[in-house]
Amino acid sequence: MNPYILATLLFGLGLGTTITFASSHWLLAWMGLEINTLAILPLMARHHHPRAVEATTKYFLTQATAAATILFASTTNAWLTGQWDILQMAHPIPTNMVLLSLALKIGLAPMHSWLPEVLQGLDLTTGLILSTWQKLAPFALLLQIQPNTSILIFLGLTSTLVGGWGGLNQTQLRKILAYSSIAHLGWMLLILQFAPSLTLLALLMYIIMTSSLFLIFKLNQATNINTLATSWAKSPMLASIAPLLLLSLGGLPPLSGFMPKWLILQELTKQDLPLAATFAALTALLSLYFYLRLSYTMALTLSPNSPTGTTPWRLPHLQTTMPMTIFTALSLFMLPLTPATIVLLTF
Amino acid sequence: MTPVHFTFSSTFILGLTGLAFHRTHLLSALLCLEGMMLSLFVALSLWSLQFNVTNFSAAPMLLLAFSACEAGAGLALLVATARTHGTDHLQSLSLLQC
Amino acid sequence: MTYIVFLFLVGLVLGLIAVASNPSPYFAALGLVVVAGMGCGVLVGHGGSFLSLVLFLIYLGGMLVVFAYSAALAAEPYPETWGSRPVAFYMMVYLLGVVLVGWALWGGWYEGSWVSSDEMFEFSVVRGDVGGVAVMYSSGGGLLVIGAWVLLLTLFVVLELTRGLSRGALRAV
Repeated sequence: MNPYILATLLFGLGLGTTITFASSHWLLAWMGLEINTLAILPLMARHHHPRAVEATTKYFLTQATAAATILFASTTNAWLTGQWDILQMAHPIPTNMVLLSLALKIGLAPMHSWLPEVLQGLDLTTGLILSTWQKLAPFALLLQIQPNTSILIFLGLTSTLVGGWGGLNQTQLRKILAYSSIAHLGWMLLILQFAPSLTLLALLMYIIMTSSLFLIFKLNQATNINTLATSWAKSPMLASIAPLLLLSLGGLPPLSGFMPKWLILQELTKQDLPLAATFAALTALLSLYFYLRLSYTMALTLSPNSPTGTTPWRLPHLQTTMPMTIFTALSLFMLPLTPATIVLLTF
Repeated sequence: MTPVHFTFSSTFILGLTGLAFHRTHLLSALLCLEGMMLSLFVALSLWSLQFNVTNFSAAPMLLLAFSACEAGAGLALLVATARTHGTDHLQSLSLLQC
Repeated sequence: MTYIVFLFLVGLVLGLIAVASNPSPYFAALGLVVVAGMGCGVLVGHGGSFLSLVLFLIYLGGMLVVFAYSAALAAEPYPETWGSRPVAFYMMVYLLGVVLVGWALWGGWYEGSWVSSDEMFEFSVVRGDVGGVAVMYSSGGGLLVIGAWVLLLTLFVVLELTRGLSRGALRAV
């Protein structure tokens, strides 16, 4: 792709999210979402491979439907209450419609089935953009509406369940990452109505952890579990760190992925929802199972190999490793920074 | 709920239903999307006309511009899919499921 | 005038049913043209002459392009029209659904809700929607810039998506 066009498209991605962040009017928010969708399409179909084109088509259809439904809901709100302001969306029917279409946009559980397929068709860099940057604008809108709490909890619990359950049977890393994204988004939605700053915290931690995982997989050029089995030969240090990273994604205590899960469970218990908290914690075990399986193939076994296959670590990497280093360090050692992070994200 | 409100709501929901349930051709899906956008255009214009908010009349024009962009991108994807898959049937978009 | 607007509203719903009931794309595009025409009528009935002109000239022009695309790419030997059985079935189902929902909401429609509000147009030089659209050139300039920029972006998007004849694996066209 021509670098000028690439720059234009990346600028479009940034501009769309910024417009949605800055808007208080639903039409402008919708425009930002549309610009975002349009700008990422050529990046997704960059290689013109049949899989990439198919993923782009599916992504376009879902995103266009979701965006149109958002605008329809806000128009209905304007007809019913005469109000276009995002923060003042009062009528319950349009509010819940917006919630459902935003759930379709970010891929929450009953509307999730496009996400694994789309992510499977992309290369890892675009997949990274899709699962981090593209979630920001819908979350900015989600934080501003006041939907029905029981629908939110339903969406959250089904997402954590489907995200854990769907990933159990996968051998493709991108699909596993997609299901892990669904599960994490479910955790964020569970707490959305009670403590929005915890939603932001969980989103931040998810973005950090998934970025480092995507970058590590990109360095290893791994797209399924088989390839992970020889990743120790490519970069021994990463092969020993990546299991810790996966466990951090699963939410085990000394690592920083524990922070959002801990706080969300505590807040849910405080809000007198012990059943929801227990259910979410139990579904996290399902996710933990397939993270553990990845760790197992990555670091705890040595697959039989020829001597020439075990020497790629002698070759220098062409990828810049600085972002990966930063993200990995953050996603392993951020737990002591919990109070500072919460203070930073409370609004 | 006025009759006008009922009309554009039902047209939008009909378009959404068609997009969700009937998808033989990609082009049919895109046409349903266009129908949804058209009913949104009518809704926005009628809102500004009925509530006498004339400053809002620019919004349907912008909506039309954005929906034209969307239709353009959708048709480009139609061309790309016809190139890679040989047809525009949505059933043939099954490379990614497993 | 009220009756004509009412007829246009019914035509709008019927046109969308014709699009949504999954006929072949030729006929769906034809249904969309009907929808656009009916939408123009509704807008004129409510006093939005400029917006209806925009819809008629620009949107129907765009629809003709879609129509050409559909004729080129989705040519089928035996297209499904509205007379064929599954399409007719869905049309009946949708029509029944709309009528039932409308019947359930009938009690909420009051007498004044049929009147299109187009007041005081005798006193103004331009109609309201013309003035409103012209605001885009003054205080709504930012939105105009965004609209122009997204059109430019779409040009690049379309060009990037449709190129790549020399790359990739399977090439049917």
